[in-house]
Amino acid sequence: MIVRVLDPTHELKAAGVQPAERPSSLEGKTVGFISNGKEGTKGYFTELERILRKDLGVAEVVWRTKSNYSAPADAHIVDEARRWHAVVTGVGD
Amino acid sequence: MRPSTQPVLNSKIYDVDDFAAAQELFHSNGWTDGLPVVPPTEIAVEACLDWALMPPDQLIGIEPVRAQPITAEKLAVNAVMAGCLPMHFPIVATAWQAMMKEEFLLHGVTSSTGGCAILLIINGPIRLEIGANATFNALGNSDRATSVIGRAIRLALINLMDVRPGGIDRTTLGHPGKFSYCLAEDEEGTDWQPLSAMRGIPEGVSAVTVMAALAPRQIMNEWTTDPKEILETFAAEMRANQRHYSIYGGNYAIVIPKQLRDIIRSAGWTKRDIAEFIYERARVRRGEWAEVGKGAIVRDRPDKIHTALESPDHLLVVAAGGPAGGFGAVIPPWMGSKTKAVTAAIGACVDCEPPKG
Repeated sequence: MIVRVLDPTHELKAAGVQPAERPSSLEGKTVGFISNGKEGTKGYFTELERILRKDLGVAEVVWRTKSNYSAPADAHIVDEARRWHAVVTGVGD
Repeated sequence: MRPSTQPVLNSKIYDVDDFAAAQELFHSNGWTDGLPVVPPTEIAVEACLDWALMPPDQLIGIEPVRAQPITAEKLAVNAVMAGCLPMHFPIVATAWQAMMKEEFLLHGVTSSTGGCAILLIINGPIRLEIGANATFNALGNSDRATSVIGRAIRLALINLMDVRPGGIDRTTLGHPGKFSYCLAEDEEGTDWQPLSAMRGIPEGVSAVTVMAALAPRQIMNEWTTDPKEILETFAAEMRANQRHYSIYGGNYAIVIPKQLRDIIRSAGWTKRDIAEFIYERARVRRGEWAEVGKGAIVRDRPDKIHTALESPDHLLVVAAGGPAGGFGAVIPPWMGSKTKAVTAAIGACVDCEPPKG
């Protein structure tokens, strides 16, 4: 007997948010780091800054830290990020 | 299997050969929690929507961080999969509305390495209508209703928010409550105010409270009739959680079964009295971290006092559990006060009758 069942997923009808345009190069650009404030981010972002400046010619790296590591970035950080060319964020435990 | 479009409901449809094939379809697509599911047929999903008087495209809410819309139809599909009957669906829908309140911080709660589950506590007459059992084995497999309602929350997180282990769900360990974590309060077994009433819902109105919760920590004290001594055992378990897990204050729940409850209430204690006592007793010095291997983060504040509760209002006191046994449970929050428990009344139209036939 055929059983007819419904798809339980959102079927990709999510996306209230579109990804930003990607820069073709980071040469001379400003890159922002948004840290969740956890201990493990310090070493990671320090090394990443070194690589970005030395290997990819990034002109400026801006460090910011969220006030709540489990919540989205604070509004003032999001506002500031509009002036950056790229942002690095993510989990840091 | 043949995907097509169904005229009334909007979900994609799959035709499978039999029940076993349906299981394989759902498991192979990552649509389950690892247990078998009830195949979500159009009839079953429509029955849930009819019972709740919701059209398929009714917006239950929009998850605030990822802007993910949750519709009644998709929620009902997942509720059916979990084993819900139509009468269970309004509780699932209300719980989701509560979960999407900003203060609940759903994204953090479901993606954190911290590993909490979403605990549901049901109050009001709907508990009796659905046959929820608030006594024996209240935090376990106590009854059909709470088992499937709790499971529906998890399945919908998996399928509507992509909260899959290793995906959005970055949990290190988790706990068994991530399959289902739901209980009803034993309102008939106590004259204490129901939890929902303590949190602002009029008595007699059905409600559900959602809390980002770790696993229950069971306590035992059957060697005293002094309420303070009994509650000291609960407070000690909260202090242990502060020392071993997170020192920061948040919503804790304590579940008090009948044997201990009768002692406490016969001494004239209300839930408010309990919360005020626990607030005073459940606190630790930051320096205690050094006794449990966390000396590195005491820093220059060893004498700072951390309370488990930001205020007595943050304790959820729940009457539930079997009639015998000097046991109780402390249910700690996920990461202190980053999330707040939310209580919501079930059904905007509390006087409406479900459709006949």
